[in-house]
Amino acid sequence: MTETLTPETAEQVLETVQWAAAEETPLEVMGAGSKRAYGRPSPAAHRLDLKALSGIELYEPMELVMSAKAATPLADIDAALAENRQRLGFEPADLGPLLGTGAGAGTICGAVICNLSGPGRIKAGAARDHILGFHAVSGRGGRFKSGGRVVKNVTGFDLSKLMAGSFGTLAVMTDVTVKVMPEPEETRTVLVLGAGDAQAVKAMSEALNSAFEISAAAHLPAGVAAVSAVASVAAAGAAVTALRVEGPEPSVVYRAEALKALLEAYGNREELDTAESLAFWRQVRDVGFFVADGPEAGQAQVWRLSVPPAEGAGVAARILDAADGRVFYDWGGGLLWLALAPRPDGGHEAVRGAIGDGGGHATLVRADADVRAAVPVFQPQPEPLARLTARVKEAFDPKGVLNPGRMYEGV
Amino acid sequence: MAVEAARVNDDLIEALREIVGPRLSTSAAVCEQHGRDESYHTPHPPDVVVFAESTDEVAGIVKACARRQVPVIPFGAGTSLEGHVAALHGGVCIDLGAMDQVVAVNPEDMDATVQAGVTRAQLNTYLRDTGLFFPIDPGAEASIGGMTATRASGTNAVRYGTMRENVLALIVVLADGRVIRTSRRARKSSAGYDLTRLFVGSEGTLGVITEITLRLYGIPEAISAAVCAFPTVADAVNTVILTIQSGVPVARIELLDKRQMEAVNTYSDLEYAAAPTLFFEFHGTERAVAEQAETVQAIAADLGGENFAWATRPEDRDKLWKARHDALYASLALRPGCRGWVTDVCVPISRLAECITETTADLEKSPLIATIVGHVGDGNFHVVLLVDPDQAEEIAEAERFNERLVMRALAMDGTCTGEHGIGHGKMDFLIAEHGEAVGVMRAIKQALDPDNIMNPGKIVRV
Repeated sequence: MTETLTPETAEQVLETVQWAAAEETPLEVMGAGSKRAYGRPSPAAHRLDLKALSGIELYEPMELVMSAKAATPLADIDAALAENRQRLGFEPADLGPLLGTGAGAGTICGAVICNLSGPGRIKAGAARDHILGFHAVSGRGGRFKSGGRVVKNVTGFDLSKLMAGSFGTLAVMTDVTVKVMPEPEETRTVLVLGAGDAQAVKAMSEALNSAFEISAAAHLPAGVAAVSAVASVAAAGAAVTALRVEGPEPSVVYRAEALKALLEAYGNREELDTAESLAFWRQVRDVGFFVADGPEAGQAQVWRLSVPPAEGAGVAARILDAADGRVFYDWGGGLLWLALAPRPDGGHEAVRGAIGDGGGHATLVRADADVRAAVPVFQPQPEPLARLTARVKEAFDPKGVLNPGRMYEGV
Repeated sequence: MAVEAARVNDDLIEALREIVGPRLSTSAAVCEQHGRDESYHTPHPPDVVVFAESTDEVAGIVKACARRQVPVIPFGAGTSLEGHVAALHGGVCIDLGAMDQVVAVNPEDMDATVQAGVTRAQLNTYLRDTGLFFPIDPGAEASIGGMTATRASGTNAVRYGTMRENVLALIVVLADGRVIRTSRRARKSSAGYDLTRLFVGSEGTLGVITEITLRLYGIPEAISAAVCAFPTVADAVNTVILTIQSGVPVARIELLDKRQMEAVNTYSDLEYAAAPTLFFEFHGTERAVAEQAETVQAIAADLGGENFAWATRPEDRDKLWKARHDALYASLALRPGCRGWVTDVCVPISRLAECITETTADLEKSPLIATIVGHVGDGNFHVVLLVDPDQAEEIAEAERFNERLVMRALAMDGTCTGEHGIGHGKMDFLIAEHGEAVGVMRAIKQALDPDNIMNPGKIVRV
């Protein structure tokens, strides 16, 4: 019978994992469970629910640093930061609506362990780049800490980078310390209307190469732009290429104007104000365009591809030539989100086969559990890397008690 | 249980010659030079140095060593500061200096792939006509391979981050000689564990990095520089805190203490105020760098900053920053014939003024002569201790001072090393700082290098 274990302290997490390791009993590790459907279904016997480990432990606005227990809701963190006009720099997505688990449930360590990184990643870096330190319990049943609360720290192996994107398969994080950033005074978005995908990627590349400090660059083909939460974008009736500029007002005004001049050749230009910009980028961040065709409405399967930006449009074209679906681009063309008509095998061979010589990888983010159990959710690794992955897992979790199989079968 | 490493024998030398031909040396002078870095640590020469020219050669060399369980020590430019290149158990040093090709530059994706032996300056010379540059500048003329292996940073970290944020992909020769490519040019690697970043900062203990793909940045349209003296270190640090907090995207902020400023005045015949001084650099559009300098000027004025000066023309900027550029040589000139022992703690910026003040008081009580230079935007500062390496008592005093400094930093929630790394010089401090995490690191080391041949005796004891 599946039992839910709800430790209330880091010490109890340690005892629970030690017990599981001794009994060789696999645990499904979760915070709020908002991303349970992200990854392969794990055949764990019991659930390790961290929801009682909640609360901000340290917040130094002067120092731009915050520590919080594992399952502290992102909503609480955002609220505390907003009081000081600060924010998380990595813009973690709220994937709950996309995955059918509801909005606003995500936790800080859930975001970190899945390395959720929003549109700002191209300038501000990924979740893993914002972790200063953490405490955790390894699958061996040992407590350890890594990093600390300073920005620079080169004390041995960079364990925080391993934790980000490990989906709870190496260790149970009990708290995390992240850097936070000042909220920009002004945010504007320059829109270019009507560019084809390949042209749009060129426009984004040109903008990102300019001196105007673009903090996000996305492209929505017309069919995706039509469901934008921002009325003027939805009404454009054309593809929309969006470039975000943030900072003090005079600087933002100047850069937005300069950007419009720079991109004249690509089509008509429009501009979104701060409120519209925030709504626009939130929807890009949360893959909001694909929520409506979710579980209740036929469940389009959602893929996330990371490729060299200049190859993005070509990869998408190869996939959509052979399958029904929609795409939009983030990170200047380097991140592709695809919603494809459901297929029993997720179309994984066609999707991964479309990735070109520049490399990249594809993750099946939304699909029924039986599909996620049957096809590789994460990009399969070539043999030497796969062996290395297995060795790293074994070093942290030799008995395979933490989220076994969540990322790769047998790991 | 320490297993004694196997030694280099004629059979191995013969095997290595088959791979690299004449590019191999056992001469005492060459080995001696490859067993020392720029630190005060005692050199430990390897038994043989091979000069590799390709990933395949490195793989062959490592395989030959692995079969015989002989240690492998990667060598870039020899600019490390904690004995990272010391061949503590003898073995084969692989000099990667001849792997100096820029493999590819992709301007539209803003990345470049280089061989490990390319230096930072070589890369930026190569990039000159592309409008792009690679910002990480550790000061020394380090190789990109070495900078990756030590997770280097430098004065630009406030705006551009460190090697940690700027390495996109690697080719690595593992301890058994197999070659892996950890990710490719795609920006993000949720394809499994982030092994790329595990190798970044692994100090040659997990594998030999032979090729690196780096993130590049557009050369800023404009750069401005500023200098300002303060009555106290605390006023200077508070200026830095307010600057960062107000969202000014400063590229560099450096602090020189009073002693360092006096040293520079003497060395370069300059007339800076003999007071704690901040050096700023701003990158951006013409308008932005002017605004940023003005914002900082206003903050500094509120905190007692004096003689605020700023400039945008290159020659004027160089003049303003001259004191910072000459800092190390000016310090060394305080005591000719001595070596600089550079410490490397980092503390939360809210404790930085306190830490520097206590450290200055500590120095005043000690016979040591020293100056302080800080990358204050990061809370990282270096005490440059001027020591005579032949005076055992002086070295011992420096060691005691360094230990007090590290413990002071740890007590303030800081770290024993912000950018130099552990090498073999700080292994005990690593244990003091991280305790059980060292066991986790050891497990990773054993998983990836079960025979402990990769740069043994660094980071963790096996």
